Amino acid sequence: MIGYVHSIEPFGTVDGPGIRMVVFLSGCQLGCAFCHNPDTWREKAGAKMTVDEILARFERNRPFYRKGGITVSGGEPLLQAPFVRALFTACRERGIDTALDTAGHAPLEALAAVLPVTNRVLFGLKAVHPLRHQRLTQRDNQLILANLHQAAASRAALVIRWVVIPGENDSADELDRLAELLHSLNRPVVVELLPYHTMALVKWKAMGMTYKLAHVPEATKEMVDAVRAALAAKQITCL
Amino acid sequence: MQKQAWVGFNGEKWQNSIDVRDFIQNNVHPYVGDSAFLAGPTEKSKRLWQKCLTLLAEEVKKGGVLDVATKTVSTIDAFGPGYIEREDEIIVGLQTDAPLKRSLIVNGGIRMAEQAAEAYGYKVDEAISEIYHKHVTTHNEAVFRAYTEEMRTVRNLGILTGLPDAYGRGRIIGDYRRVALYGVQRLIDEKNADLEARSAVMSEANIRLREEIAKQIESLQALVRLGEAYGFDLTRPAQNAREAVQWLYLAYLASIREQNGAAMSFGRTATFLDIYIERDLANGTLTEEAAQELIDQLMIKLRLARHLRTPDYNELFAGDPLWVTEVLGGMGDDGRTLVSKNTFRYLQALYNLGPAPEPNLTVLWSEALPEGFKSFCAQVSLDTSSIQYENDDLMRPIYGDDYGIACCVSAMRLGKDMQFFGARANLAKALLLAINGGRDEIKGRLVVPNIPELPAGPLDYEAVRANYSKVMAWLANVYVSTLNLIHYMHDRYAYESIQMALHDSDVHRYLACGVAGLSVAADSLSAIRYAKVTPVRNEQGLAVAFETEGEFPNFGNDDDRADEMAVALTHEFSNLLKQTPAYRDAEHTLSVLTITSNVMYGKKTGATPDGRPSGAPFAPGANPMHGRDKSGALAAMRSISKISYDDCRDGISYTFNILPATLGKTREQRRENLVSLLDGYASLHGHHINVTVLDRSVLEAAMREPEKYPQLTIRVSGYAVHFIRLTREQQQEVLQRTFYQAL
Repeated sequence: MIGYVHSIEPFGTVDGPGIRMVVFLSGCQLGCAFCHNPDTWREKAGAKMTVDEILARFERNRPFYRKGGITVSGGEPLLQAPFVRALFTACRERGIDTALDTAGHAPLEALAAVLPVTNRVLFGLKAVHPLRHQRLTQRDNQLILANLHQAAASRAALVIRWVVIPGENDSADELDRLAELLHSLNRPVVVELLPYHTMALVKWKAMGMTYKLAHVPEATKEMVDAVRAALAAKQITCL
Repeated sequence: MQKQAWVGFNGEKWQNSIDVRDFIQNNVHPYVGDSAFLAGPTEKSKRLWQKCLTLLAEEVKKGGVLDVATKTVSTIDAFGPGYIEREDEIIVGLQTDAPLKRSLIVNGGIRMAEQAAEAYGYKVDEAISEIYHKHVTTHNEAVFRAYTEEMRTVRNLGILTGLPDAYGRGRIIGDYRRVALYGVQRLIDEKNADLEARSAVMSEANIRLREEIAKQIESLQALVRLGEAYGFDLTRPAQNAREAVQWLYLAYLASIREQNGAAMSFGRTATFLDIYIERDLANGTLTEEAAQELIDQLMIKLRLARHLRTPDYNELFAGDPLWVTEVLGGMGDDGRTLVSKNTFRYLQALYNLGPAPEPNLTVLWSEALPEGFKSFCAQVSLDTSSIQYENDDLMRPIYGDDYGIACCVSAMRLGKDMQFFGARANLAKALLLAINGGRDEIKGRLVVPNIPELPAGPLDYEAVRANYSKVMAWLANVYVSTLNLIHYMHDRYAYESIQMALHDSDVHRYLACGVAGLSVAADSLSAIRYAKVTPVRNEQGLAVAFETEGEFPNFGNDDDRADEMAVALTHEFSNLLKQTPAYRDAEHTLSVLTITSNVMYGKKTGATPDGRPSGAPFAPGANPMHGRDKSGALAAMRSISKISYDDCRDGISYTFNILPATLGKTREQRRENLVSLLDGYASLHGHHINVTVLDRSVLEAAMREPEKYPQLTIRVSGYAVHFIRLTREQQQEVLQRTFYQAL
């Protein structure tokens, strides 16, 4: 089976526990205004790789990954769910920890196919309010929320990732909605807060695209702490 | 007296013969816990270190040297007692009569001593100058008398650089623990017995050995006098922890009073001392605070150790290093760890006193080390960038479990092995000799005979490689011959009597050769082989630049095409060295290590086929060239670990810089990921790794406002330095190095 791979980071330390090989798959149907990898959006682009080729890369550096594993990110990896499933199944056989870094915008069956062979899900939520979500990502979030419930119902470890975008998704109303959503899941989950930064601006410009959040400032430590405090007040734990 | 000193200690073998390892194995307290037990600094230690910081700042302000004892030739007992602040000093002893006052050591060469003093505005006493010029042969003088024309040439052109022909060779580790465990009288008795046992055949070798043992005995007697000056009776064994630390330190002090070797290692003392500390803690005569105080005060003393050097020397080895290398941790042959609580205390001093390059703390890393210790080491690296790591799993099968590290990466069994330090040969320049028909690429002088001129046009890999092998064969012979001559003279005119007194009388000797410019040579060969490289030749026919068409792989990207070049070069050169017999039947070894001399080597080397301009620095040690290791940290580690330790038994140095954020988001993640990196590198058989965890911006700020960063420490190549004590040029070179960051 062939996967379309945008790039591979052999020394990933921020996408799951330990040192991990992060495989960025090509293709994403969201259009997040703050995406830091817009070059991964195009489907069926990048290098064609087999499961064995990826695993060979992993095995070469395996001594470093003992407390880590493999993370599949993107793009939206669930657009290539059969490939991810095949890769993760092979990882399982070799005792490699598997993490799925997804935004959840994919058919329910796609996630359902991958979850049984996934150790952990890093679920990147952008906004809970439908209109805010629409504005930030160009898409409705119904499917995403359904997938979030599906992930929470599985046995995989689950971390919610929330990019704090000043003025876009850090209002009291939005955070209330987020807390309410998380409490509606059938288990407690933790949230990893990521400060919004503008490093992607260069990439967008280089690709000749208009960066719509140019007016939004980077999130300061104080802003992130404020979000953490607001969520803590609602019994939501943030990393 | 011995009975009293040894109460509570187990084992017998070590009582009947000099065997510190057996003592440790019978009495060690392996510690597998975490760092929670550690204590902060005492008021005395804090006051004492503050005073030292003031003196150190004055030293920097005065241009690097605070004072010089110009009227006394330094010997073991040349100076009476000296103190920093007597009422605050728990462990005493200075090199001269005042802190940071540098001593005059002239056995290596009187001219060097004079030049060094003059460079800082001092003048060597006239009587001393006269005696040494007129009536004494120094090592330096003897070597230059005997050098051949060829040896002078390779030295002048920078084909061999850093040779110990004008200063002490160092790299000898006295087993200073013996003084604490046995007392000096017992050591003298043993040496007398050794002398007696060598009375039969008066061969030249035996006569030399007899003379050496006699000198060793004299130096032990001088050590007793050094002790007396400070009010201690070193003839007897140490009776408690404080005495053990004091005895051990005075033995080390004796060695740096006698010798100004480039690298003067301390050995492997933490777990040895732990046995005394545990005994005192158990009988209630010591507290954890007092134990830490002993170690902090020992560390203060080791931080002040320094020698008077010439500006030329400082250009090679910047930042006033002495390589007071102490190895920590490691595993025992029986599978027990040699980590003790006192191993933690040595590291804790970096918190209690702040970061520092000396002593050169070197963790012997094993995947089997206790997790608590691994985690603490990683934290210390993250917080101080002051320690380095070497692979115990790789070295223990060869050297056993009681070895130390001389200088940066040279392993030796303590008290049983010594080495003849051999600096290094410039492999990049050797390649240029191969390309230029044996002529020096800068001066045009014919250096290597019988090297065919290459035809005009693009370089043919096979032809270049064949020439290169010829040059290396010639170089290996000149190199070993030069070292033989140097070490013959060093033994004769600048013998390390106190350090050798703390060895067995029959020692195993290594001839420690080295190479510089490995990655430049490997990338150049790769360029010639995989791209099209055409030399631009001047009117003399010398290649002054290279035009390259096409792509080629670089060393450091886990690409076997380039990495194999480095592997093959070290293998070939290592074997070629063995073709020339070494002085005193020494065993030839090879290191890939440059210290900071990579800058100097680069200066003396013309443009190379890899695209490096004339005069540009090499990468340090076995590092890939700056910025060419584009495939990330793991690929670079894999590449370097391909170089075989069997070919490079004197060590393979890798200097690794990483941004804190690249290791993870939280402190805990960073600590755990650094442990994983070290475990991974060790399991690939990587030998040595110097870890600096720092943002480049911190270094840039320190360059702008050095006075604000007096203790900022970075690892360079096999050692650590205060960043502000590097030359501007060396600081720039550090900034050019690859700091790994996530893509």
